[in-house]
Amino acid sequence: MLITCPYCGPRDVSEFTYQGDGNRTRPDPDSTDLGAWNRYVYDRVNIAGEHNEIWQHSGGCRMHIAITRSTTTHKISSVRAMRDAGPGAGQ
Amino acid sequence: MKPQRTGIGGKIHRARTIRFSFDGTSYEGHPGDTLASALLANGIVLFGRSFKYHRPRGVVSAGIDEPNALVTVLRGDVREPNIPATTIEIFDGLVAVSQNRFPSLAFDLNAINQLGGKLLGAGFYYKTFMGPVIGPLRGTRFWMFCEHFIRRAAGLGRAGEAHDTARYERVNAFCDVLIVGGGPAGLMAARAAAEKGDRVILAEFDPTFGGSAKWSGETIDGQPADIWTQFVADDLRSMPNVTLLPRTLVWGYYDSDTMAALERVSDHKVKAETGEPRHRSWTIRAGRVILATGALERPIVFPGNDRPGVMLASAAQRYAGEYGITVGSRVAVFTNNDSAYTALAAMKAAECSSLVVVDVRSQISPAARAAASHAGVELLLGQAVVGTRGYPSLSSIKVQRFDPSSLTTSGVARSISVDALLVSGGWSPTLHLASQAGGRPVWDEEIQAFTPPQPLQNWMAAGAARGAFSTAEAVAEGYAAGGGETADDAEPLPETEPTILLSKPARVFEIKAKGKAFVDFQHDVTADDVRLAHQEGFVSVEHLKRYTTLGMGTDQGKTSNVPGLAIMAEVSGRQIPEVGTTRFRPPYAPVSIGALAAERFGDLKPERLTPMHDWHVEQGAEMMPAGLWFRPRIYAQPGETIEQSYVRETRAARNEAGIVDVSTLGKIAVQGPDAALFLDRVYTNTFSTLPINKARYGLMLREDGFVLDDGTTWRLGQNEFLMTTTTANAGKVMQHLEYLLDVIWPDLKVHLTSVTDQWAGAAIGGPRAREILSTCVQGTKVDNATLPFMGIVHGTIAQVPVMICRLSFSGEMAFEVYCGAGHGQHVWNALLSAGQGFGLVAYGMEALGTMRIEKGHVTGAEIDGRTTARDLHLDWMLSKKKSFVGSAMMDREGLSGPDRLQLVGLVSLDGRALSGGAHIVEHVDPEAPSHSLGHVTAACYSPSLGKYIGLALVSGGKGRRETRAFVSDPLRNRFGPVEIVSHHMFDPQGTRMHG
Amino acid sequence: MVEQLSPLGAAYRPGRHGRVNDTVGATLSERQPGSIVQLAAWSGQEDAMRALIKDISGLELPATSGGGTAEPAKAAFGIAPGKVLLIDDTDGIFADYSAALPENIGVVTDLSHGRSAIRIVGPSAEWVLSKLFAIDFTSGAFPVGAGRSTTHHDIFTQMQRSGEDQFDLYVFRSFARSFWQTLCHAAGEVGYEVI
Repeated sequence: MLITCPYCGPRDVSEFTYQGDGNRTRPDPDSTDLGAWNRYVYDRVNIAGEHNEIWQHSGGCRMHIAITRSTTTHKISSVRAMRDAGPGAGQ
Repeated sequence: MKPQRTGIGGKIHRARTIRFSFDGTSYEGHPGDTLASALLANGIVLFGRSFKYHRPRGVVSAGIDEPNALVTVLRGDVREPNIPATTIEIFDGLVAVSQNRFPSLAFDLNAINQLGGKLLGAGFYYKTFMGPVIGPLRGTRFWMFCEHFIRRAAGLGRAGEAHDTARYERVNAFCDVLIVGGGPAGLMAARAAAEKGDRVILAEFDPTFGGSAKWSGETIDGQPADIWTQFVADDLRSMPNVTLLPRTLVWGYYDSDTMAALERVSDHKVKAETGEPRHRSWTIRAGRVILATGALERPIVFPGNDRPGVMLASAAQRYAGEYGITVGSRVAVFTNNDSAYTALAAMKAAECSSLVVVDVRSQISPAARAAASHAGVELLLGQAVVGTRGYPSLSSIKVQRFDPSSLTTSGVARSISVDALLVSGGWSPTLHLASQAGGRPVWDEEIQAFTPPQPLQNWMAAGAARGAFSTAEAVAEGYAAGGGETADDAEPLPETEPTILLSKPARVFEIKAKGKAFVDFQHDVTADDVRLAHQEGFVSVEHLKRYTTLGMGTDQGKTSNVPGLAIMAEVSGRQIPEVGTTRFRPPYAPVSIGALAAERFGDLKPERLTPMHDWHVEQGAEMMPAGLWFRPRIYAQPGETIEQSYVRETRAARNEAGIVDVSTLGKIAVQGPDAALFLDRVYTNTFSTLPINKARYGLMLREDGFVLDDGTTWRLGQNEFLMTTTTANAGKVMQHLEYLLDVIWPDLKVHLTSVTDQWAGAAIGGPRAREILSTCVQGTKVDNATLPFMGIVHGTIAQVPVMICRLSFSGEMAFEVYCGAGHGQHVWNALLSAGQGFGLVAYGMEALGTMRIEKGHVTGAEIDGRTTARDLHLDWMLSKKKSFVGSAMMDREGLSGPDRLQLVGLVSLDGRALSGGAHIVEHVDPEAPSHSLGHVTAACYSPSLGKYIGLALVSGGKGRRETRAFVSDPLRNRFGPVEIVSHHMFDPQGTRMHG
Repeated sequence: MVEQLSPLGAAYRPGRHGRVNDTVGATLSERQPGSIVQLAAWSGQEDAMRALIKDISGLELPATSGGGTAEPAKAAFGIAPGKVLLIDDTDGIFADYSAALPENIGVVTDLSHGRSAIRIVGPSAEWVLSKLFAIDFTSGAFPVGAGRSTTHHDIFTQMQRSGEDQFDLYVFRSFARSFWQTLCHAAGEVGYEVI
């Protein structure tokens, strides 16, 4: 499988590290809402279809990227640099 | 007559002779021969014994689909079993032996198994060796007892034990178009794509390009087809944008059109060149893929269809056309379709004395009739072969009237004397790669075969691989797939002969008559086995496959797949497409494990070496791995045990001075205006208040509140920090921090850089460490006022800039001396010579571990992902003034409370050593282990205390101090009393390190 | 000035090795540049960083991913968004940048000891590197001067094509010996010379 890194271009998946579900929202750092923290730390969606994921190009430029990938076909429909993905995108 | 070489013909180079041996006998062949063709040329028909029944077997095909003629190739002591003789290029000195026979191929004792045929049906072993319900051989034990003997009798070649000295490599390639298969379709595709300027890779399994054109005897573009293919291949070879890969099997289709291929670089050579690999594993990332993989002919299932002398019609045609071999003099053809009639002309040219065609159809096309009459054959229509005779090879066939609609035979059987029987049951497109790429193959009623699915990836099939079997279609579809111009004014395509004999088979896959009729030759699966499986409830094709092992051999059912499905469909009253086909998975054909390992062969991981590595080795240090790093364990002196070594090193460090290489500690440069703020968020304690040139011990938690890592971080400037991590966690911590900056706080101006390798580190500690430093450090003082605990100074040692931080892991007055890694050995040497006369000793990981256990300092053994800061008595580091990563989750229910496993010290009360991993229990009874209170994380002999001690994580550990417990270690048979104590076992006030 | 000790140790064996050919497929050497520094700009300050590099080192970097330029005695190329690796035969370049780089543009990190510089040059350089790295080495895809960040088998590597058939590889110093051995092994097939 190839992932097109926004900086490095298409690279083999072995250069990347999966960094988790991109649909989570981190609570405010000072929040003591354990339910919200629990959801952030433990809950993951498990979608058969288009999934928002966070990957790191750990064997390349090391940036984190927001990826939309189909879990059924492995087709990647969107790749953006995490820093450009906008506030809250896949926090 | 036995098979023999014809007087003329074939593409072999008759002028040169190659000598090789098979089963100890020397034979001759020619360049261009495979082992199979060369043996046939020498009249050999018996190639091996079958898997289960030890029946004599000959060659069935002429290519990679060969199920029977598997041999073992020997190169010195290295033996490689189960290679189809049809794929081995002969070379001078080739040594091959047959398999699965005892004592010899011609006389095999296990052939007795044939008599037990009824007994050895599908699932025989499972059923028979299940064992009784009770007793010593109950359940599967009986099977395990018998398995050894059964495995010896059944099976394929024997794997070797000698070390494989061959070299294997891999390589990455990129192209616009990868074309798989170098027959007419593939060559035309490559030509079209190359002319457009695409970067093209054309891979062909055979040593030469041309595919069926090499032996079909037809004409393309006004020339003999094999000459035409050579011209096209030569043209392609001269183009800079084309890579030709002969002897290359594309065996895997992976996501994003990533293709796996195996190139046999030097298997055909007497000896590989220096540095030349045997096999090369290619990973080809293709813009698009053209599958020009052709089609495979299928046998028909009938009794005795496995007798040597029975082979596929196309195989006989190839042996004649490519290798100049006549497979027999009295030849019969048995077919359900027209394609086999193309073999008649080749057989006639190969000087067969008599020819007969047995066709299950009562009506055949005029073209087929013309071909038959042209070849002067006897035509038996509406008839079928119902049996074969001859030992060890074919001498006659039995033919009976056959009704293709009711699939029944009738009338009197007639015996015909033949020495070769050429069978054609139709053709199946080679769609394995297309199936691997995703999607379900589609059944085509006209050609009675599965065709490739709708592409889910960027591939297209051309020619026979798509089910278009004529050469004209191969040329046209290949050219179109390559992107060739198809406008009216475009250059015309090469002219081909009109193909009139195509495979549109009658729907006949099996002739039912008395006797063993084989579906899968390699695994000895018969038509009756398939029926039995259905009877026993194996309805799904995937279950059928696993129960009967149909298609599970090294040939992966290339010839047996469709006939097996057809029988399955018939017995279950379904149509073949309803039964479906199994999903093809990589590899298409066996791939050497060496090629997959490639440069990792024998060397699984790269090694990380510190700047002082060679010195440690020269000193006789026993090196131990720490992740990818290598670190000195002990510097053993002659005659010392490990314990004696580390006790001596520890004593020296505690009494005089010791030095240890700490270059492996993870080091991360944290730089930028928000660096301090960032550290406040990721550490449990505060770093923004840390003065420049001071260090602080820091603790990091994970988001879930457990401890992630610890280490000291040094403030080198207002916006510049040097963070250290444990050796093991350096990568993990880096990734954690990068994630936070990229994903959670992209607004922070902080850059992180791994500088682990920039610095060499030496920790020098002990009562005389400061004296040693003061004799060798220039440009700064190292006294208590200038360099207090956790202070940092900059100076030089032996003209090299150094940075010294006073901190202690050993519990002694200690200093970490950092310098540029390229100067590490230089500074290390200077410290050692400064330490002469002060009793300075280099110590290794065991002494380092001993001193940290005495002090109760934690490492990865205690920070095991399940412990909290409180468990490790580090709650004093949890800031209450700010939030930090993990602060919200660390106080969850279950993460605090008196029963948590807490860090304690242990003292052995029986004077024996403790062992890591041992359980802590309240009462010891080896026969009835009681509930575990926790476990030992680290243990050593403490020279300072004169006792065996350890650290442990024990439930409610803090409350158990000064109580007795026991270690229980049934695995190592170690039981004994211990006292639970505080983890601060040595110098708890820290007077030694504070000085 | 005390010279840096090579991390290659006994693995460095000058001379011809591997397959005996009329020509040498690849020449391998360890370069020991005086300075290797990493320059990291804040988002939006990349142009200012490039201008500074031009002022101090005289190197003009294209504003592209991996963009770089190579001269005989110095070179620079992009390794990550906003990050440039700068190599100079002269010692002490870190101090120059440290003094000149304003805080609002970015930061500089000294890696002169932390990265080892290995050069491979020759007609088979692309082929040998293709055995180790899953990136496209053809000059159309990887032009002269450009840089790449990639990995071979746990060994993180930053590299620059410093000539038509010449590549400079920067690996973590601790991995250098292991990597060198792997590189030599891969070059055996084409015949190589160590200088």
